[in-house]
Amino acid sequence: MAAAEGPSAALRRRDLCSRGIRLAGKMRADVVDLLDAYVEQQGLDASASVAAVEGVPVAAVERWDEQTGTQRLLENLAAYRAFRALLAQMLEEQREQLGEADAGLGRALAAVLLQVSAFAYHLEELLRLESRGIPGEEGDGPPPPPRLSLFEQKLRGLGVLRELAQWAVRSARDLRQLGKPSSAAGAAPGLAESP
Amino acid sequence: MFSRWNWVACGFCLLLNICSPDASGGLVQSCGHIIPESPVLALGSNFTALCILNESCLDFGNIYASQIIWKIKNRLVPKEQYREINRTVSSVTFNDTSSLATPLTCNILADGQIEQNIYGITVTVGLAPEKPKNLSCIVHQVSRFTYVMTCTWNPGRHTFLDTQFRLRYSWPEEIFPDCIPKDVNNSCTITDIQFFVNTEIWVEATNALGKAESDHLVVDPIDIVKPLSPQNVSLTSGILPTVLQLCWENWISDAVMMLKFNIRYRIVGDTNWLEVPSEDTASTRTSFSVQGLRPYTEYAFSIRCMKEDGVGYWSDWSEEKTGMTIEDQPSKGPPIWRIIDSSHSPAFWTVHLLWKALKPFEANGVILQYEVTVRDKSSLSSPVKKYNVTSTNHTLELREGTYEVTLVAHNSVGASPPSVLLIPASNSKAPVKNLRTLPKHDKLWVGWTAPNSYVLKYVIEWCLVSSSSDCIIEWQIALGDVQGIDLKGIKPFKCYLITVYPLYADGQGSGQSVKAYLKQDRPSKGPTVQTKKVGKAEAVLTWNHLTVEEQNGFIRNYTILYKTIDGNETVVTVDPSKTEYTLSSLTSDTLYTVRMMASTDNGSRTGPDFTFTTQKFGKGEIEAIVVPVCLAFLLIVLLGVLFCFNKRDLIKKHIWPIVPDPSKSNIAQWSPQVPAKHNFSSKDQMYPEGSFTDVSVVEIEADDKKSFSEQDLKPFDLLKKEKSTSEGHSSGIGGSSCMSSPRQSVSDSDEGETTQNTSSTVQYSTVVLNGYRDQTPVQVFSRSESTQPLLDSEERSEDHAGGADSTAQRQQYFRQNGGQDETNTDRPCFERAKQITHANEGDLVGFVQLQISGQSSQPLGLGMEKNTQEAAVSNVLQTCTEGQTVRPETVEENPLSVDEMPKSYLPQTVRQGGYMPQ
Repeated sequence: MAAAEGPSAALRRRDLCSRGIRLAGKMRADVVDLLDAYVEQQGLDASASVAAVEGVPVAAVERWDEQTGTQRLLENLAAYRAFRALLAQMLEEQREQLGEADAGLGRALAAVLLQVSAFAYHLEELLRLESRGIPGEEGDGPPPPPRLSLFEQKLRGLGVLRELAQWAVRSARDLRQLGKPSSAAGAAPGLAESP
Repeated sequence: MFSRWNWVACGFCLLLNICSPDASGGLVQSCGHIIPESPVLALGSNFTALCILNESCLDFGNIYASQIIWKIKNRLVPKEQYREINRTVSSVTFNDTSSLATPLTCNILADGQIEQNIYGITVTVGLAPEKPKNLSCIVHQVSRFTYVMTCTWNPGRHTFLDTQFRLRYSWPEEIFPDCIPKDVNNSCTITDIQFFVNTEIWVEATNALGKAESDHLVVDPIDIVKPLSPQNVSLTSGILPTVLQLCWENWISDAVMMLKFNIRYRIVGDTNWLEVPSEDTASTRTSFSVQGLRPYTEYAFSIRCMKEDGVGYWSDWSEEKTGMTIEDQPSKGPPIWRIIDSSHSPAFWTVHLLWKALKPFEANGVILQYEVTVRDKSSLSSPVKKYNVTSTNHTLELREGTYEVTLVAHNSVGASPPSVLLIPASNSKAPVKNLRTLPKHDKLWVGWTAPNSYVLKYVIEWCLVSSSSDCIIEWQIALGDVQGIDLKGIKPFKCYLITVYPLYADGQGSGQSVKAYLKQDRPSKGPTVQTKKVGKAEAVLTWNHLTVEEQNGFIRNYTILYKTIDGNETVVTVDPSKTEYTLSSLTSDTLYTVRMMASTDNGSRTGPDFTFTTQKFGKGEIEAIVVPVCLAFLLIVLLGVLFCFNKRDLIKKHIWPIVPDPSKSNIAQWSPQVPAKHNFSSKDQMYPEGSFTDVSVVEIEADDKKSFSEQDLKPFDLLKKEKSTSEGHSSGIGGSSCMSSPRQSVSDSDEGETTQNTSSTVQYSTVVLNGYRDQTPVQVFSRSESTQPLLDSEERSEDHAGGADSTAQRQQYFRQNGGQDETNTDRPCFERAKQITHANEGDLVGFVQLQISGQSSQPLGLGMEKNTQEAAVSNVLQTCTEGQTVRPETVEENPLSVDEMPKSYLPQTVRQGGYMPQ
């Protein structure tokens, strides 16, 4: 597919990868900063252990280097779509809990949410360039999570942000892998590099 | 519930429509309306409005479309723009809406030409928005995580309408809320900016006439970021004295963008910045070591950053941070110079060594002390002397000779290279040539032409010339290859004395001096002029030179301005070296006002006015007048003295009468019975008839004198008066002189005791004057018969007095001896009297006959008085001179007095029958 695409498409792809990598990097940095603010704001322990959040794809994957580009893109897209929904929910819960009392945390959450959306857009564009169909978002989305207590909401938020930080690192590496000239749309395995 | 209220509202509206058949009308029915209703029109477009009349009004009021008139405000629209479409509709067309105004009314002329308004509309004219241009955006970093994007654009022309601008931006699949400007129409700020996604940005402008949209700008906001400048900048002194390490923190994380930097620095106090090469700071970092700095120097640093790839904007410069490098040993020796004072003894010098403190970049630290080494080059055996000094001068007492002085500065790190000064025995080398100065802004450039020999360096001395204090010398050293330096710290309007010495390897040249000003001004005051000497046509003016503080520049000339009160001013230019000037060709005895002006290259100043008056007479004129006058006076006095000397006897006689010496007197021998031998014939010839009016002889004796009554003596008083007013005619003591005054004659007899004592037998003469002033007086002399030899001199003195008016008097003297006829009337009477005296001496008979000629022209009063006097005298005489003979001529000539006057002159008779010697 790489051979079939024109020079403009290759440039576009490279530009999207480059921009996506930087976006992922910034997203990670912002999420890390947000995590600190979130832990402090919510009165949590930064070392608190959080169980896997339901609906959040796990960034760690075995045989990462054996994944194809499309596979990478699809996994990333699915993850970020999930994050987008979770962050939107967190933002709603945050506004309900604190109102306008802590606008800074809300703005930071909104910024991260935008970055997640932007990254999802990058992934969709890359998928389009690979002439792959973009999987449609499930109409009703994931079933609404059960009603959680306030503390559970805080812990879930903490888990979402931690996992998003992990995904930001993985996504940057995925896009870097995709951006390499030798990388084929199919299944050219990258270097033995794990996130 | 909502539906129930809705039905109620509908019902209320229906009721209103029933009551108001016209939608626009209200309760009063209108007869028409205008289409369109309140339009918004494009400026410059055409516009047509229709006025539609209601059918109901047609029948009711007989009004039709043909009667419609259109008005803009109160101005009638020309009927050419009307068009009657049908009987109920009229239109008006405007080709250019710029002529429109509000309101536009439809009116009708009813019967009787009564104008009635049918309807009116509001017309709004404006422009459609232009396409916004020049859209640009910049992302400002507000805080570590906060970025705002401000976009600006050109809104285009004014539309005269309410136009809304909105900034729109979107991602391909996400549209963000519009940014609506507040209070402005050309910029807007977006706060939720996300990097690394291409964002499409554009501006929409909308008003009633349309909508316009700018070109779309697609940009990743990360490419238009202006980051915050690095914070917490700090400086650390390194191990090396020329290095400072700069540390800082970045506001932007590496995840967002990589940065590059600019570092600039300057010496504190200097305004020029130096920059670290940009290639050395082209990557993200948080510290940098700046090298090549000066030791022990305080530097100020500032830093800025931008995206590493150069896309975006530079941040502002960070605030300055200062740091100081560490010390190093001094880089050069201090410049040294000397001032030699040999005034007290030529063989011994007082040498004042002077050196300048090293500049900071030369000292490289704090100078702790100076080490001065003096070596006598004329004597190899002399020990080298060393002095440690903390100040910048040192004074030595040296014997005249050649010395080498070495100076080293020490700081905490080390010593400077030595500075060497050779002090030769004499400054006999060649001086510089063509020394000159030139002001350059606030510096004074001093230039010279180098001597032919090789010069190591030059020493330039200068000092502020002052009249009140000594010249405080400042100095500077220039290298031998320069031929001019700029002197700093020179004050304007001050005179400086500048001297340049060339220093050779083996000696020193003599100094060349020049006076200079950095900037000249006009003098601060003018000279005070005064006169040193004022003459008739000239005046010597004098003044003092202005002090150097007052000059403010080189005095090029003095100008003397002088004038009279009402005259033109005369101007004289005087050389500035002069302090005196002579004004000439002045008018005598005139008040002059003079003032003096001193001029520099930059102006003049006039001193106070001084006035003086020229003299009336020139030098020597008074002497030329006074001396001749004095000489003439002296000459006259001299002549007078000589004359008096010549006539001293006469004067002596007049002032100190000769008192007869009784011891030399002789007894008169006089016989009254024997008339004297008179030659009357000759006298008759001389004196015509009638010339003798009266002759009286008075004999006064001392004892008898008192027997005369006052009445009897009155004629004598009259005679006194007459004598005082007439030209002097008197008879002297003894009555022998024709010039003797009657008064004298009388007073002598009245007052002098001596006379009283001795005149008991002296005959006195009485003079009876008949003349007055220019009239020829007729004098009657009564001659005493004294024959004293002293009368000779007395008569001579009288002769002088009588000579003056001898021609005015006719006198007749009768010589007693009659030996000679007295025919010469021109002869002075005193001569004649002398002759008479001689005759008396010879004959020892004395008598005097006085003839007094009467004048017919004599004033009546006086004549009467005279007659009265004569009568009185005659009475007196008559009583005393009975038996005396009267001359026949007299009797004949004066018959009226024949009975009264004695017929002849009879000498007094001594009572005892003889003449008593006096």
